[in-house]
Amino acid sequence: MTRWQIILVRTAILFVVLGAWEIAPRAGLVNSMLLPPLTDVLAMLKVQIARPAVQEAILVTALEVIVAFLIAVPLGAAAGIAIAEFPYAGAIFKPMLFYVFSIPKSIFLPMFILIFGIGFQQKVAYAAFTTAFVVLMSATAAVESVKSDYVLVARSFGATPMQILRRIYLPSMMPVLLETLRISMIFNFTGVMIAEMYASRTGIGHLISNWGENFQMPQLFAGVILLAVVAIAFNETVRFLEARCSTWRT
Amino acid sequence: MQYLADVKAATAAGPAIEIDRVSHVYAGAEGGVPALEDISMSVGSGRFIVIVGPSGCGKTSLLMMMAGLREHSEGRINVHGAPIPKPDPDRVGVIFQEASLFPWLTTFDNIEFPLSLRGVSRDERRRRSRPMLSLVGLDGFGDRYPHELSGGMKQRVSIARGLVQDPPVLLMDEPFAALDEQTRMTMGHELLRIWSTTRKTVVFITHSLTEAVYLADEVYVMSSRPGRIIDHIQIDLPRPRTYEMMATDTFGRLRDRIWQQIRASH
Amino acid sequence: MQRPQPKTVRRGLLIALLVLWEAVPLTGLLPELFLPPLSKTLGVLWADLDKYYAALLVTLYEVVLATAIACGFGIVAGATIGGIAALRVLLLPVFSSLYAIPIVILYPIFTAWFGIGSQSKIMFAGIYGFFPVMLSTAAGIRTIDPQFLLAARSMGATTTQQITRVIIPASLPTVFSGLRLGGALAIIGVVVAEMLTASAGIGYLVTLNRTILDSPRVFAGILCILVLSIAYDILSRLLERRVVVWQSVGRRQQTATVPRPATQAVAAPSAA
Repeated sequence: MTRWQIILVRTAILFVVLGAWEIAPRAGLVNSMLLPPLTDVLAMLKVQIARPAVQEAILVTALEVIVAFLIAVPLGAAAGIAIAEFPYAGAIFKPMLFYVFSIPKSIFLPMFILIFGIGFQQKVAYAAFTTAFVVLMSATAAVESVKSDYVLVARSFGATPMQILRRIYLPSMMPVLLETLRISMIFNFTGVMIAEMYASRTGIGHLISNWGENFQMPQLFAGVILLAVVAIAFNETVRFLEARCSTWRT
Repeated sequence: MQYLADVKAATAAGPAIEIDRVSHVYAGAEGGVPALEDISMSVGSGRFIVIVGPSGCGKTSLLMMMAGLREHSEGRINVHGAPIPKPDPDRVGVIFQEASLFPWLTTFDNIEFPLSLRGVSRDERRRRSRPMLSLVGLDGFGDRYPHELSGGMKQRVSIARGLVQDPPVLLMDEPFAALDEQTRMTMGHELLRIWSTTRKTVVFITHSLTEAVYLADEVYVMSSRPGRIIDHIQIDLPRPRTYEMMATDTFGRLRDRIWQQIRASH
Repeated sequence: MQRPQPKTVRRGLLIALLVLWEAVPLTGLLPELFLPPLSKTLGVLWADLDKYYAALLVTLYEVVLATAIACGFGIVAGATIGGIAALRVLLLPVFSSLYAIPIVILYPIFTAWFGIGSQSKIMFAGIYGFFPVMLSTAAGIRTIDPQFLLAARSMGATTTQQITRVIIPASLPTVFSGLRLGGALAIIGVVVAEMLTASAGIGYLVTLNRTILDSPRVFAGILCILVLSIAYDILSRLLERRVVVWQSVGRRQQTATVPRPATQAVAAPSAA
């Protein structure tokens, strides 16, 4: 299948899905109270984005996402690198990581609320908490992905540790690092959303939750579309960068 | 003397495999990619034939065609007098480069797999697989799983599996390529032992010129793509073959001849 | 002095954690509001055992059904999309792009449609688990060595036999891995949903007790969920290992054309 054929078919599928979203409620096939037609939702989106309350919510959410990310990444990365570099620590902690991942971290939200109350700090702390684990695991994998053969070759030519770091580890890890950041951001975003939807007075998550409770479906769908588009846009941008850096990868 | 008598007897019975002007063209974007060009071969019953050639020359494709696993655009292939459009394990057993043993089955189950496809009863299957296990020298390993076996052992099981339905023809596609050299030499020796016991017709593909000369009665040399037969060499070394023969002049000359042919065809 | 075994260190850490859980609040280092002592937590759990038991049953019921949905659809979809080259090339990148959306934002839609009872949780957690299971299965299907089918054909296997005797046994590791993943994600999805909007279940209890600032009961609920998810993880890994004895060796390495982010993201699914 050629590239154009693929793009064509995918676009066709997209049109079918969007078309169904528009036609089904209008034709009465589904209850338009539960699923407003696409154009109504888009119109509502336009209205909502213009509202200062909504703009403020977007800013709050964005800020939480950024701050949580800035906290989580250094912490998680440091821990992850430590586990990768010190085999003894790795032997101790790695088996535990499996279990850590299957635990629903959302159950710790009440803990954060008890400590921080409801507000910016609590949401950021929770999101950073969940994201740090993802960063940790990815960082460990990233460091371990640098083939020890490459390091051996560099050392046999007399490279210093600093040179090895800059000339072997960094280029080797760059695509993985980008992938790590991308995936961590996905989980970071999710964490912020959960915190906002659970107990918050600000942020887009809270707005969506509210709209849902009040059965304001067009607003709810508008919010969901907005978030979905932002999430996908960010994801694809980083993916594009990853691909640029990965030309040498098999 | 016995050797020549065997050859006479074999050719008198009619060829086991007859390949008549086989060509194959892969459908491609611009017209087609010729893979094989005008291949003709006649393999006598009970003979050990080796095909050598550079990578991509189409020798594996040719083998797949002999096995009924692949179609060819032109020409005829007959095995024991009849064409072979689909796989026929009663006539042709196939052994691949990767043993392709099913990891979820024990050694016995793997050897018996073709029989179980035919609905042969459990007892009958075991009755027929035991001697195969012994033949390949793996007595006692019947209940092991493939991941407990070494590469050489896996290939032995693969050979047992190919033999269990007692087909007169055995096709082998670089079966020892994935093994280390020492194991290869042992396996080559083992294969000749099994062959002389069962007197199958064997078509064996390899990259290794040494292996070709060591194992074969006749060697067919193929050119690079599109594959043609550029030489057909009789290996007149006495049987049973020994390692010492590898050091003889005859051996060296035969191997040289093959190598010159392949080099010239590039 | 020789270094202690990692296993021993882990056990030691766990015990130290439990000890701290008891000691720290009792000595006043942290207020009991933030961290009630372990003994108190266990105490209220015992006192309200019937409530927690009932809630656990609701949660389990939702988890089981959500797992069925996530795995049922996920494995079939994954096998189909992963197995058929045209579908894979067309759809897999689309699905792994969709994976970037935080599914949790869809939950209010589910409560609006299905109410605050179990149904919305089951649907939500089912979808939550569907994507990773599908991506994982699609990736796993491609690790089946195509040589197996060639070998089976050479032995005269019919198409039906190729499916039942080769493809199905060869895909068991992938299927079991998908089951484990689906169940773990279903637990996460159900817990998140119960915490957000619910009328029953452990998540609901935790939220209820938080709003009245009853810390010991909050932590009792947290403890229940911890035990549930760890128990599920251990059991499903055990089952996987028993059934698929031969799994570790003999599988082809995943090819480079499998979208890497999908498989890596799948390995770390639980942000919730």
